[in-house]
Amino acid sequence: MKVQTAKTANWTNAKTVKQKRKWITTNSMYHLMMLPGMIFLLIFSYIPMIGIIMAFQDYVPAKGMLGSEFVGMEHFIYMFQLPDIGKIFRNTMVIAFGKILLGTFAAIIFSILLNEIRLKFLKKSIQTVVYLPHFLSWVVLAAVVVNMFSLDGTVNQILTFFGLDKLNFLGSNSLFQPLLIGTDVWKEFGFNSIVYLAAITAVDPGQHEAASIDGANWWKRVWHITLPSMLPIILLLAILSLPNILNAGFDQVYNLYTPMVYETGDILDTYVYRIGLLSREYSFGTAVGIFKSLIGMILIISANEMAKKYTDRKLF
Amino acid sequence: MKKYRALFKRMTLLSITSMLTVSLAACVDSSSPKDSTSTTEDGKTVITMGRVTAANPKLPNGDTYENNAYTRLVEEKLDAKIVNQFEAEGEDYTRQVALAIASGELPDMMRVNSRDELKELVENDLIADLTDVYNENASDFIKEIYDSYDGRSLDDATFDDRLMAIPATIGANAPNMVWIRQDWIDELGLELDNDGDSLITLAELENTAKAFLENDPGDSGNPVGIPFAHWLNAGDYGGSALTMTSIAGVFNAHPRHYIKDKNGNITYGSTTEGTKQALGVLAEWFNKGIIDPQFGTRTWDDIMALLTNGQTGIVTGPWHIPDWGLSTVKGMDKNAEFVAYTLEGENGKANVFHENPTGQFMVVRKDYEHPELAIKILNLFYDELGNATDLETDYPEIAKYNELGVDGSTRPFNIEVYKSTSTIDDFSDQIVPAVNGEISIEDIVKAGIKTDVKTILEYIEDPENAETAAWSKYHSRMKGIGLIEKLTKEDTFNWTTPVYYGTTATMEKKGANLLKLEEEDFIRIVIGAEPLDYFDTFVSKWKKQGGDEIIAEIEAELAEQQ
Amino acid sequence: MVENKHISARIGRFVIYTIVISSGLICLLPLWNIVAISFSSSEAVTANAVGLIPVNFTTETYKMIMEDTQFWRSFGISVQRVFLSLIINMILIVLMAYPLSKSKKVFKGRNIYMNLLIFSMLFNGGMIPTFLVVKNLDLLNTIWSLVLPGAVQVFSIILIMNFFIGIPKSLEEAAIMDGANPLQILVKVFIPISLPALATVALFSIVGNWNDFFSGLIYMTKVSNYPLMTYIQSLSISIEEMLKSGANASSLENTMQVSNKNLNAAKIVVSIIPLLVIYPMLQKYFIHGIVVGSVKE
Repeated sequence: MKVQTAKTANWTNAKTVKQKRKWITTNSMYHLMMLPGMIFLLIFSYIPMIGIIMAFQDYVPAKGMLGSEFVGMEHFIYMFQLPDIGKIFRNTMVIAFGKILLGTFAAIIFSILLNEIRLKFLKKSIQTVVYLPHFLSWVVLAAVVVNMFSLDGTVNQILTFFGLDKLNFLGSNSLFQPLLIGTDVWKEFGFNSIVYLAAITAVDPGQHEAASIDGANWWKRVWHITLPSMLPIILLLAILSLPNILNAGFDQVYNLYTPMVYETGDILDTYVYRIGLLSREYSFGTAVGIFKSLIGMILIISANEMAKKYTDRKLF
Repeated sequence: MKKYRALFKRMTLLSITSMLTVSLAACVDSSSPKDSTSTTEDGKTVITMGRVTAANPKLPNGDTYENNAYTRLVEEKLDAKIVNQFEAEGEDYTRQVALAIASGELPDMMRVNSRDELKELVENDLIADLTDVYNENASDFIKEIYDSYDGRSLDDATFDDRLMAIPATIGANAPNMVWIRQDWIDELGLELDNDGDSLITLAELENTAKAFLENDPGDSGNPVGIPFAHWLNAGDYGGSALTMTSIAGVFNAHPRHYIKDKNGNITYGSTTEGTKQALGVLAEWFNKGIIDPQFGTRTWDDIMALLTNGQTGIVTGPWHIPDWGLSTVKGMDKNAEFVAYTLEGENGKANVFHENPTGQFMVVRKDYEHPELAIKILNLFYDELGNATDLETDYPEIAKYNELGVDGSTRPFNIEVYKSTSTIDDFSDQIVPAVNGEISIEDIVKAGIKTDVKTILEYIEDPENAETAAWSKYHSRMKGIGLIEKLTKEDTFNWTTPVYYGTTATMEKKGANLLKLEEEDFIRIVIGAEPLDYFDTFVSKWKKQGGDEIIAEIEAELAEQQ
Repeated sequence: MVENKHISARIGRFVIYTIVISSGLICLLPLWNIVAISFSSSEAVTANAVGLIPVNFTTETYKMIMEDTQFWRSFGISVQRVFLSLIINMILIVLMAYPLSKSKKVFKGRNIYMNLLIFSMLFNGGMIPTFLVVKNLDLLNTIWSLVLPGAVQVFSIILIMNFFIGIPKSLEEAAIMDGANPLQILVKVFIPISLPALATVALFSIVGNWNDFFSGLIYMTKVSNYPLMTYIQSLSISIEEMLKSGANASSLENTMQVSNKNLNAAKIVVSIIPLLVIYPMLQKYFIHGIVVGSVKE
């Protein structure tokens, strides 16, 4: 017994030594493997961060970043004084929150209903169709949405058919946010349902059978068995979508909005693009961008912590 | 091993630091101006340019914006090669300019699309002073062109007595016209414009619309009144289709323009009594059904469908609307024919305003070694080429371009530089005599005009079977420009000159909201959602939400100029 | 009672089927409408007469696309971009995911790298500084400006890293015993096992690169260099905006000539064909990857 332990110990020791020697080359090999990616990251992510300086300057392109005058926090102070920012911030949150909430809701309902479809062929075909919009660019889908929702579009033709007034979805400040949320839910609900469907199918069918025998109807089974089994994943995804509260979807808004709906359709990203680039307020645009990044960062880190705490999973 | 590790570490550190420094330097360096004008290998001067393109340039195969008959002409005549730093249109162009400014590398020459942008470039000291090169190099004809605007054009590009850009000109487009289906008028035997001055009164227009509604000459089964668009108060003539411009003119009102009132105070055209009266007419007409009952919700496409389906036969628009708007009507109904009138003011005149004389400018980068080339290009294209008598022999390639209908945006400077009266002059000196057979087509100097005349004659010979394009050209020229010429000759115009065309600081900030307020309130008044007196509420809202500040800013700025 | 229950169950079933099938139709029909428009005459399209069946069926639009050199140029640029990005993304993903899947004891400095990666996801210098870097590297108007800034796909790296962590240690140890170095282990052991997961991130890369229009807008200064989605995006010119903001005769005429709804619809249809071709794969691996990535982890 003793001999054996000694032998093992000896062997372990030898292994550590060998591993240690190996570790040196292995470790440098690891660094080497990281190197190409890190160079790209340095060039295209970290060097541009130097540009953050612009937010604290009155950046004059002719003078460059070294020659422009530093103005401290002036742009940030101006930003908070601007009534526009509050409005845009609100738009961003409302649109993003609406998308997350309704999107989750629609995906959950759809996955529960889809799970009830017994015809394999039908289920497969519907899945194929509802996942499709997720893979298409907003450039393409904007054309589809405009085609549907313009004043002479299909939706208005249907409204007219039922004797209702036409609605100017794309040009009215009260309808544009619902349009953005609705079309985003349309694009993503199918795809988002994949995860929920997986959670539903993971439930032990025996539970349902037992409940059925106890006389529980479909509603009750969904409420007491299916939904609780989905709860952890719903919670996780809800937490993980938190950082997106400031990403209301540049591609979508950019391809759909017009000056008529800036009031309610303008979000932080489109605002930064228009003011910071098109209107050439480079410094101010950068300041707004930093503000957005900072809040996003806080949200991501807290989401990660929350996920760790409540669901035992994390982003990174 | 340890040594290796240390070496590796140091190498990594070294490479990262060097990368950082190099890129940082590059980042910062980008702001310094380019060292010198480069030349091509064969010694030609290089001009880098920002070019405004069109979606459908119709260039022959193989030619591009960078290499086409026009750029080759520059190469041949001025020994300069044009290299495009960027090409784009619309918002894409604005973005390219912004990126170029941000990186501190302006092209040698580029177009800027507004005076504000020009002002910013001047203030940031990014563009060259063209005063001397203009005076020395501009041909007499070019100077004549700008003089025809009484200095309004060059003034716009002048800062502190220095000419900082080459302004584009906007020739006279006034008035806003009322296009009515002539074949329907004939069919119903309506009487319009008995005195033959091409001015019709509001009552005449109303009666015509009523007759069209009652008799449905288009056999559509569902005739509607005069269509207007929700951009009711657009502020110029060039794009003034489906607007209230003509009706406001009746009351000598000019929405969206800053003008001096009787007392010499600066007022905003949209807030004047005349505008209120015009809205009153529109509201009354809407109530009577003279105006399309779905006004406010119809899109451009909707309205074009109304015209094409024969549901309506009256539309307001500029002289060139047959070229791009009404043409679909001919496609559907080969007998369709329009006539153009303008509305007679209460003073018996056609009340019109001078449009912003510029809008676009060509600028030259500061420190560019050959600013004179900009003026030489100007001479070449707007004098030499514009006045060339024998394009076929002297510029065969360009003659071919004209035949193919290659878009004007392919010229190095995508701006128009013509005398204020050039449209009318061409019409009365060339088109009319040629159409009447007084001069031969071959005698026409300008190639574009020559093509126009050929197509117009094609239509006159066989109106029913003529191509839609011939129909369009006939209408836009003979009816559209014809009306302008007639009104000019008979001195029927009563001109108003707005006092300010620029953008003040408050306009930049609040302009969009004020415009929205205006558009929405006007529509509400017209459709009767609010009574006409609500206009006064609109005026006070407009003033309170920034209008007063704007007027004060304009007053200050004008006082400063004097 | 029993009868009653039976009926209500049937009604319930009917309602469920109706909702699910109509969800499918809501996703399909708007897209189908675009297809129908692309096969209709432009008069019919202007008159809003096209529903689900083409009116005045014509293949004219597709013939026009065949001759449209700019369309195919842009198409080619997009294809090129997708391939180059795919290669570079995949190489960097496996190269970086493997060392990162080691604990910080085995791979010293692992956490520093990880934090650098994550920080780059959270914070960026903004559009203009990035543009300046790309410009100073002389990448403007080159295919590399579309490929290199997105070379490091942090999200995909984390996904694959997590997958690598889940691979049994014994496999790696056996390879070490055989004297394999990390690169050999990666290529011979990890990559073959992870093919489904790698397929997922490969598809991420393909879809993302094909659909992106914005980098084309920023880094390409000429329409002739636009990738396909940027080109299609630039087609949407609104005549109403032009009328409102004032426009001259020639620009209005030019715009009317290109505002060709059925032709643009056909361009859109052709632009999504490549995605439809790989769609069966997308469906299979994406679902797999998504479920693995979020439920099991």
